[in-house]
Amino acid sequence: MPVVKLYFDRLTRLVGADRKRVLARLPYIGLDIESRESDSVRVEYSPNRPDLATDYGIAKALRGILGIQLGLPRYSTSSSGVQVRVDRKLARVRPYVACAVARGLKMDKEDVRQLISMQEDLHNGLGRKRRKVAIGLHNLDVIRPPISYESAAPTLKLTPLGGSQKIELAQILAESQTGRTYGHILAGASGYPILKDSKGLIFSFPPIINGNETKVSVTTRNLFIDVTSTDEEAGEDTLAIVCTTLADMGARIGFVLVKYGDRRRVTPDLRPRKFSLDRDLVRKVTGLAINSSEIDVCLRRSRIEPLGRVSVLAPRYRIDLLHPVDLAEEVALGYGIDRIEPAYPPSPTPGSFNSVSQLIEKFVELMTSSGLTESMGYELLDELTLYQHFGRPSNGKIEVENPRSIEHAVLRDSVLPSLMGVLSRNVKEEYPQRVFEVGRVYNREEEYVRESWHLGVLIAHAQAGYSEAKSYLDAFFRTLYGKELRTHGSSRWGFLEGRCASIEFSGGTLGHVGEITPGSIAAFGVNLPVVGFELDLTSLLERETRAEEGTTK
Amino acid sequence: MTGTPLHPIEVKILYSLKDEEWKDFDSVVRATKLNPDQIRRALEWLASKSYVQVRQDVVTEVQSRGRMPPELLLVSKLREKGGKALLDEIRKEFGSSDEFSAALGRAKNSSWVRTSNDLSGPLLVLVEGEGPQKFEDLISMLEAPLRQDSLSQDVVHLVEEMVKRGIVSRREQKVTKVRATESGLRALSSLSGAEYDERLTSEMLSTGSWRGKQFRPINVEATAPRLYPGRRHPVREFIGEVREAYISMGFTEVLGSNIQSAFWNFDALFTPQDHPGRDLQDTFYLKGLSDRSLKRTGLVANVASVHEDGWKTGSKGWRYNWDIQEARRLVLRTHNTSLTIQALSNSGKQETRVFAVGRVYRNENLDYKHLAEFHQMDGIMIGENLNVRNLMGFLNEFYKKLGMSSVKLWPSYFPYTEPSLQVMGYSNLAKDWIELGGSGVFRPEVTWPLGVRKPVLAWGLGIERLILLRLGLDDLRTLYESDLGWLRRRPEFASSETLLR
Repeated sequence: MPVVKLYFDRLTRLVGADRKRVLARLPYIGLDIESRESDSVRVEYSPNRPDLATDYGIAKALRGILGIQLGLPRYSTSSSGVQVRVDRKLARVRPYVACAVARGLKMDKEDVRQLISMQEDLHNGLGRKRRKVAIGLHNLDVIRPPISYESAAPTLKLTPLGGSQKIELAQILAESQTGRTYGHILAGASGYPILKDSKGLIFSFPPIINGNETKVSVTTRNLFIDVTSTDEEAGEDTLAIVCTTLADMGARIGFVLVKYGDRRRVTPDLRPRKFSLDRDLVRKVTGLAINSSEIDVCLRRSRIEPLGRVSVLAPRYRIDLLHPVDLAEEVALGYGIDRIEPAYPPSPTPGSFNSVSQLIEKFVELMTSSGLTESMGYELLDELTLYQHFGRPSNGKIEVENPRSIEHAVLRDSVLPSLMGVLSRNVKEEYPQRVFEVGRVYNREEEYVRESWHLGVLIAHAQAGYSEAKSYLDAFFRTLYGKELRTHGSSRWGFLEGRCASIEFSGGTLGHVGEITPGSIAAFGVNLPVVGFELDLTSLLERETRAEEGTTK
Repeated sequence: MTGTPLHPIEVKILYSLKDEEWKDFDSVVRATKLNPDQIRRALEWLASKSYVQVRQDVVTEVQSRGRMPPELLLVSKLREKGGKALLDEIRKEFGSSDEFSAALGRAKNSSWVRTSNDLSGPLLVLVEGEGPQKFEDLISMLEAPLRQDSLSQDVVHLVEEMVKRGIVSRREQKVTKVRATESGLRALSSLSGAEYDERLTSEMLSTGSWRGKQFRPINVEATAPRLYPGRRHPVREFIGEVREAYISMGFTEVLGSNIQSAFWNFDALFTPQDHPGRDLQDTFYLKGLSDRSLKRTGLVANVASVHEDGWKTGSKGWRYNWDIQEARRLVLRTHNTSLTIQALSNSGKQETRVFAVGRVYRNENLDYKHLAEFHQMDGIMIGENLNVRNLMGFLNEFYKKLGMSSVKLWPSYFPYTEPSLQVMGYSNLAKDWIELGGSGVFRPEVTWPLGVRKPVLAWGLGIERLILLRLGLDDLRTLYESDLGWLRRRPEFASSETLLR
């Protein structure tokens, strides 16, 4: 979630309320306080509300919720006289550009910092890391319109922001930090998008970097804003959010004529948008018994203007409103979430446990009452733990894509590796050690993955031997089913040849019991004999849940 | 008898020391047939009672490195061949000619062998004598470590030479020596003659011979071997409480696969396909696997349309081309709402309450506040008249059962709920409000495609943070490190004061 730092002196001035009132209300417009200092506070805001990226936007919302200024904030635009011509060749690369002019700015350092931070947040959120939308802010006074948004050869040169000499576009992609981070967006493009003025100044290379000549600083009075995109609506939404913020900073917004051959767009359009209002839906969702005029007040506190009975006008920057239900939340916020009375509805039906999880509880109970300690391990492990330490091939492994840590990269197909991991992390702990885990394991079957519940038990101490493992196994079956299991000499990875048996119960093989191979024990750094078993619980779970279904019918 | 009674192990040890001389630790082991750990422990007790003195000596030990000197090898080869053999023949049996020359040189110098000539070439002949035999005896004696000062004068120089040749190793060894003190011997003698029995036997009971018998008093203050009862994992314990709380409020428990299609994890929850939360950086996708059975028909088609243009719901939708391939990808579920949403889709026209508690996965680097695998307790409530007030009422009631004094809700954002509310709970431990999870009312874009028009309240709540608070811990990783010391010795009640109440 994006974060914005708010200085109390600025915010209280913009809101027109004292620090205490402001701080108390921040969470109730959806801002999560992350940390606080003596002069400032850092808050997290939802990416669907990019208008809250600066203190100007936050002040606007707070003024509404505090009742200082209600209803729609108004924005106007006038012609800037600037035109932008779009090159058709960009249709396959980055087809859209929406532009605006902001004049008469008087920004201080903090204004500039917040503007840049808002731009970054928009890039990452709405802009999907610049893939969908990228914003360029330029010093208008350096640019000589009309402007051309065109496709350029990779050999074309530009002085990148912060640079001192002209560099080829291809070189910027290959060598600069932003080029390497965002260059993939332009992969495969025959020409690269650039913005050029009538004097031939190349001042932007979207979505990678701006030119150095049009760099913005505290002394910049007039801005030219370009928003390039692969989605025209998202681009224009983004431009509107930037422009309303600039207008809040005191700028006069000028619109720009963008020409796509015969098609023309005038950007930005800052007029409020009309949405339909369903007052019954609002009451139904919120549970508030409020009349129409109360609903109107609540909406106006959320800076939304009721327009008759069944519609509202919302400011252009509210790009998050999709459905009439969204106005229910606006009413709830305007009302004050903290003023809503909780009401617990008694249940119409009795509750019921899931029969599989009840059985698993039963299995766990039996193992703990047998004196074993329950462990809970991760299901994502590394190849070493799962395969190499048992000297078995890893060709059936189920991997996740792009794991952040190689220690959590492969789904386990058995609980024994997890349990060996437990023993290996506890070599300094008292012996005997007797541990078990009931957990999920994953096996590849052709095109899909079978998930099953397994029970694994490992026992480690100087005298640990096959028969001890089998005793616990016997106890399991005798206690639960009153029947003896059978063990047949068998072999399985991880178990010592000649000291391993398959577990036969009720006509099926449910797992293996035996002594762990010295190779595996040593690989896990354990210095004592280890014995145990692993049981696939699938058939036992099915058997009981089937029986239960039979009785309830 | 005064003082603490002697344990039978102590008696055995004192008995082995009764001639008042300093004894090697090893000789005590041999004499008592006890295991060294038992003796070490008992010596500590005895020393603390001043019944024995213990000192550490350093002694020099010599031991054969297990390699036979080449001159002996030569002799034994000659013996096998009846006392003589061709020089060339013997030479061939040695691995290296250097070794053979050395062997021959030494054997000749010691007059163990001599050379003579035969028709077929030079001949090597064994000389009768005790020399080789004595040497062999010495070597075999040195197979076990031997104290250098115990060697007899006539072999000292021989051993010295073998040390230089690398046939015998020499090292300093620490030796524990013990001696019984006078009071120790007194304690021992005060015992002798006393008739006592070690333990009650079944025979004594059946014959009645226990009558009039004395049983040796034992050290009832000594530590007993440790026993660890089997225990459930603290996370399972807490989940048990959670399940009870849900059931008591009329919820039905559902269980489901940890692997889900992106469709059920994201698309059905109106999360656009390019939403940052769906990135590889945040979600575990299974490499090369997908749910090919998913087709754009029925409810899948409804979901697709709701993404594209809002379908019949009156929503604008997300306005992009929905891609079935993206929905088919398999993920490790990022929340259990992927299960409750399926229960919702199967609920028909019923007004019901459903919960799922289980493991969820996020592609995170592990640190004190992040795990890649953790648990959530997610639920939904379906009912014609349900609203935000009921959601708040439920959450208050639910957390009261889990020991939280106070719950409040803050506005938040999730793509699938409207309103969206963050759940905060007051922790007396942290002395602050902590985030417990998210909640809200499912959007029509979520419920309508599944054929549900009734309001549905939904929430996704964390578990691990609550467990940490209860146990007084501050690092999430502690829960899954499987530290047996913690799992076995963690006191059940020690943390009762730190409960959230």
